[in-house]
Amino acid sequence: MQISSKELIYLIGLITFIFLLAPLFLIIYISLYNKKKARHAEEKEALKKTFEMELLKSQIEVQENILQDISSNLHDNIGQLLSLTSITLSSIKADSINQEKIRNASELTLRTIQELRQLSRRMNGQELIKKKLGHAIGYELDWLQKGTEYEINFQDNTADQIWENAGKELVMFRLFQEILSNIIRHAQATSINIILNQESGIQTLTVRDNGKGFLVEDKLKTSDGMGLSNLTKRAAMMNGTLIINSIPGSGTEISVSIPYI
Amino acid sequence: MMGYFTINTVSEIICLLVAIFCLFRDKNAYWRSFVVYMFLVCLTELGGLYLHKHNITNAIIYTGFLIIECSMVSSFFYYLFYKYHPKSKWIYIWLLIFIIAYITELANIPFNYFPNHTTTFMSVVFVIASLYYYLLITRDETFRNLGSYPQFWIVNGILFFYFGSTACNVFFEYLLQEIVTSMSMSIRYITFNILNILLYGCWSYAFICRYRQRNSFTS
Repeated sequence: MQISSKELIYLIGLITFIFLLAPLFLIIYISLYNKKKARHAEEKEALKKTFEMELLKSQIEVQENILQDISSNLHDNIGQLLSLTSITLSSIKADSINQEKIRNASELTLRTIQELRQLSRRMNGQELIKKKLGHAIGYELDWLQKGTEYEINFQDNTADQIWENAGKELVMFRLFQEILSNIIRHAQATSINIILNQESGIQTLTVRDNGKGFLVEDKLKTSDGMGLSNLTKRAAMMNGTLIINSIPGSGTEISVSIPYI
Repeated sequence: MMGYFTINTVSEIICLLVAIFCLFRDKNAYWRSFVVYMFLVCLTELGGLYLHKHNITNAIIYTGFLIIECSMVSSFFYYLFYKYHPKSKWIYIWLLIFIIAYITELANIPFNYFPNHTTTFMSVVFVIASLYYYLLITRDETFRNLGSYPQFWIVNGILFFYFGSTACNVFFEYLLQEIVTSMSMSIRYITFNILNILLYGCWSYAFICRYRQRNSFTS
């Protein structure tokens, strides 16, 4: 059977049409595959974030348990032993010269007991925030003012504690302790201002110092910035935000905002 | 004068204007060379039309342009593949093979004949290169929004053009003798009109995407 020239031309036209359809389907397939790849990458990223958050949560829980354990041991065991030492010292009867020394030792023991109890309370965050976050922060600042000469201003504009948020408040308190510790170690500040606000379902803690400040972007790139990065992650764990504003030579302001129930 | 404004020339001139607007200040030499290439395309097409209107065989213009076309598309593929295979020897090997095929065919066909077998061979290589590029981007872990990814649209245009022209290339000699009866234009001419619209349409879009990409990077 012979193919006429007209049929051959139609055949060429048909082949060309099919040869144009093939790339079209291929491009559609590649585009769909790419979208699937994007979805997969997004899911992977979300899983990674969830895993990191869970890991951070576990770390905080473990850290909290260890601190509570140390706090209980300090209070119950060492505290008791020091109390016994104090009672024993006060029961000793000696001559006037030794009596003076024993009295001094007894006073030192009593001061140690007092310091130990305060330290134990600071460590036991759950116990501290039982009243409310403002109270815990105030207690921490009292402790700081005893040994240092910072000019400290604290404004607590919060109402009573909402029990459902006790967990969030504990994490916020630990964030505050870390921020404060950073100021003491690195900032070379003379004044610290703390404001605790609670409005429209959001609790905000702002800590401002007049220290040497730093370049935030540069700091986050270096290993020194790990602490700042951890603070941000911990705030994110509670669906909150942490904003760092710092000007070299002028000081730093860190603001933590966490949504309330 | 109006006879010079055909579907082919209009699509090519539009693409040239888009290239000038979008790529003239591009920092990448591969992208910037599209402006020169599109200018040469327009020049070749208009020159071909001029000779055709004066009943002079225009195959020699297209035969000469084939080297420019092959160099441009090959170097762009080299630019695309360089990220995945940073070796340059394969492009030299390919261009050497092409030149050998080109000269051999020219030596064996009468003067003023178009080297069709070399064109078909070149088309097959470009189709394979396009498919290989798709393979590389699907394997690549980096996500790209392909809808606005200029490289992807350049390759789409190349694949449409060279894969779509396969049938016409295979039946090239037969189509040259085609007697136009009821149709006002030959099937080859219609096919290449469609292919040119697809090629230069895809390329124009790619140039716009490149322009937007470049601007969004700098702002």
